[in-house]
Amino acid sequence: MATAHLETTIAPEKIAAMYLQYEVEQFYTHEAALLDHQRFEEWVDLFTDDTAYFMPIRRTVPRRNLSREFTRPGEMAFFDDDKATLVGRVQKLGTGTAWAEDPPSRTRHLVTNVRIIEDLGTELTVETCFHLYRTRLKSEIDEWIGRREDVLRRTEEGFRIARRDIYLDQTVLLSQNLSNFF
Amino acid sequence: MTIEAPGTTAYLDSLVNVATGELDRRIFSDEEIFELEMQHIFGRAWLFLCHETQIPKKGDFFEAPMGKDNVLVVRQRDRSIKALLNTCTHRGNAVCRAEEGNVRNFMCTYHGWTFGLDGELVGVPGMSDFYRDELDRTKHPLRKVAQLDNYKGFIFATMDPQAPPLLEFLGRTGRIAIDLLAERGDIEARPGVQKFTLNCNWKFTADNAFDYYHPQITHISAQAVGMIPSADVNDTGGAKTDEGKALGVQRLPTDLDTLVALGEYGHAISGPSLDSMLRTLPPEMHELVTWRQNPGPLAALGPVGSRFAGHPHLFPTAWFTMDAQISLRVPRSAGVTEVWWFSFKDRNESPEEQKAQLGRQIHSFGPAGFLEQEDGENWSQSTAQTRGGASRDIPQLLKMGLGRGKIIHEDGVARIEAPVNEHAQLWTYLSWLAWVKGTSWDELRSATTPGDYI
Repeated sequence: MATAHLETTIAPEKIAAMYLQYEVEQFYTHEAALLDHQRFEEWVDLFTDDTAYFMPIRRTVPRRNLSREFTRPGEMAFFDDDKATLVGRVQKLGTGTAWAEDPPSRTRHLVTNVRIIEDLGTELTVETCFHLYRTRLKSEIDEWIGRREDVLRRTEEGFRIARRDIYLDQTVLLSQNLSNFF
Repeated sequence: MTIEAPGTTAYLDSLVNVATGELDRRIFSDEEIFELEMQHIFGRAWLFLCHETQIPKKGDFFEAPMGKDNVLVVRQRDRSIKALLNTCTHRGNAVCRAEEGNVRNFMCTYHGWTFGLDGELVGVPGMSDFYRDELDRTKHPLRKVAQLDNYKGFIFATMDPQAPPLLEFLGRTGRIAIDLLAERGDIEARPGVQKFTLNCNWKFTADNAFDYYHPQITHISAQAVGMIPSADVNDTGGAKTDEGKALGVQRLPTDLDTLVALGEYGHAISGPSLDSMLRTLPPEMHELVTWRQNPGPLAALGPVGSRFAGHPHLFPTAWFTMDAQISLRVPRSAGVTEVWWFSFKDRNESPEEQKAQLGRQIHSFGPAGFLEQEDGENWSQSTAQTRGGASRDIPQLLKMGLGRGKIIHEDGVARIEAPVNEHAQLWTYLSWLAWVKGTSWDELRSATTPGDYI
């Protein structure tokens, strides 16, 4: 039997790692689906009460100045949100008068290259790459590609995002707003 | 109807009618007019480049736009500041392809011509073999801007050697605009300039700074989640949703008491007066405006200047916000504008105050801001409707308060006190017309000196 073969030749910790990888990937697939189905209230519930959602400003700098490529917490950013602010963003969409999202964008969150960087037990550090494709109104197309670094906390309800850092690959943004979530 | 040839004075005069408050929509999408703007406005005006704290160390540079030119603002070894055109004097390649950073010199990666921080040509590979030592290096430094000056740390430059000095260009209104930021304390630029791209004409972004009519509708969702205060007044004026329901508009409480300053060369300030703003802000936010009456700021601003709490705008494209930010609207073409956000803090404020302010700066404006997401939508849609053959024949209206703008001259400031109005927008376009016609500096100043009414 293939299963028996697997169990006898692969070390249990490797099987555990594979399962963890599967769980984490399932989490991200679920999260992307919530966003792309406009289920923002459920999406924001995936963040812990003490979460931090941060998208720094990226700058085109010489190679030897790369240490100052991204702004840091405490400096300017595109997003620097706590839970209340994230919830506020979701509530704003729900008012029916957030004109930048009404008519709503069509989005596709493609999440890939999922790498578990560190597992500290209660929390995991996970890096992902994303491609957020958006069309809105009749003919607007925006694409954002970048890297996210998350701290996922294990809770009784499953993973919750305790921190998310979003590193866009663009410096001068080529879109007219960031009215979507990353 | 006679259609004048684009570029002629008669044609340009036909585009802005101050008497009727009507503009020709062509000014928002005509590429020929855009080229005139590049030449006569962005090629001549003093333009804000950056703040001196953005380049604190020797060799620090920040690249800033001046029309279609790219300029490197560079901290020199003697700590002075120079602004150099980012183009090699040999074949034109950019000598620096980064937005900001620190360098010892600028080397063109095409042939290796190397320029010092001061722009002097210090290296030419193959000088003796290829040029037989006959090239005079002193004749080919990086070109400098025609004039560079700084007002309280805010660095400006002009490409026109004939331009009046910066202080004269700013005038009293322009200085008040900057003082409303500079006099807050020991000002420092926060690292990180937000930059994003809008498919709109730059003038929509400029005149919107004065528009206190739009927030109650445009920003209704931000108001609903508590981002901006509102009065307990429900006056829709008949606005209904597409389902036919009356829109629950909480009118902005600033509509009764607006203070406008009109300045030479097109600068203006418009929005609520300090008194009016204090009535609308919750007590914990009063410090946003009350510092203006402290002794230092009061001395700089004067009795009239200290009463402004609205939005100052330096012609052509720098908007100073209430919360220590400058929005620079960078025209890239008639239909594309980049918006840049510079944000500042007062070094003497407590860490808690600085943090709270940073939060407001990030969450109000910029592409993810609770307010500006919707603004961009308006400007790009408005621009799009200036292209249609039939649509562009509909005039753009600035009729609010038309003919009722009695101008009071006091303490060197020309001001209007009126309910929410469009006087500052009209002033911007009146000045725009004088600029774009390419008149002399004397004529320009005369045409943009406020009279008794607008």
